[in-house]
Amino acid sequence: MSEGHEDLTPAMRSAIGSMTEPSVMEVTRTGIRAWALAVGYTHPVHFDERAAVAAGFPDLLSPPGYFGAPAGDPRRREASGQPDFREEFPRTLHGGSEVEMRERVFAGDVLHAVTTLKDIRIVASRSYGRLLIRVSETEYRRLADDRVVAYNRNTGLAY
Amino acid sequence: MRTIKPQFWDNVHEGDEFTLVEEMPSKRLVMWAGASGDFNPIHYDDQHARGNLLPDIIVHGALKGMLIGRLLQEICGLQGHVRVWNASYRGMDIARRPLTVYARVTRTYFDGTDALVDFDVGARREDGSESTRGTATVALARIPGTQPVSRD
Repeated sequence: MSEGHEDLTPAMRSAIGSMTEPSVMEVTRTGIRAWALAVGYTHPVHFDERAAVAAGFPDLLSPPGYFGAPAGDPRRREASGQPDFREEFPRTLHGGSEVEMRERVFAGDVLHAVTTLKDIRIVASRSYGRLLIRVSETEYRRLADDRVVAYNRNTGLAY
Repeated sequence: MRTIKPQFWDNVHEGDEFTLVEEMPSKRLVMWAGASGDFNPIHYDDQHARGNLLPDIIVHGALKGMLIGRLLQEICGLQGHVRVWNASYRGMDIARRPLTVYARVTRTYFDGTDALVDFDVGARREDGSESTRGTATVALARIPGTQPVSRD
């Protein structure tokens, strides 16, 4: 058994490899503009649809890393179905992330996001004691042509 | 606000470093919270931050990661493509202090006809210490008229 898996509970072990149902992500002009402003983008293709079209794009270009916002009523968002083990590990930190861009994303795209829990480990940390490390991968697929546009991988820490 | 000019692969060499110095006022963290949906109060509520024994609110890890993405996108321009980047959030960054985001070229090479550049990337505080570290790969445009000849 590899390092970090020795102390996993049966529930944790069985959660490895679990996938969420697809979430629908809407990439809108408003969303792109707000996200691009917050990150400090200045190129007009992220803000002005005429500039985007003049550059040869179908609509506003989404900056790499922005994949829209979940569709539907945010008050009624369903649980992912993946356990988070919050009772034993209540405090969370964002350990790291990776973005792999396969294709450009534009305003008007509707994406399906499916997240796979790739790995769970428990390690001893000098700063936090017992540390739960969760590695997940989200695949973003454009509904219009069923093409994978990006992967977003995240490492979540909990203690 | 300073931006990076798009680069041609032919003009980029190992050791070149590109940087952006980013201010982190609380307003920016509020904008990022709204745009990203991350409303953890540690990033906008001073009392909550101090209750967690922090001197001030802290910068979202994901915002730091996306600042690196923006630096890479500026290096690429519209003719290039950001392929992949990662960031490990090794330390907290207190808000209202500038952060320097960097990308340092580690390799330039060809993959078929794609002209690629690898970077070490990250974020440094005012005192030079690193809070964020990772790697990246982008595809850059060639100077018009150049042939796809490997440098090796």
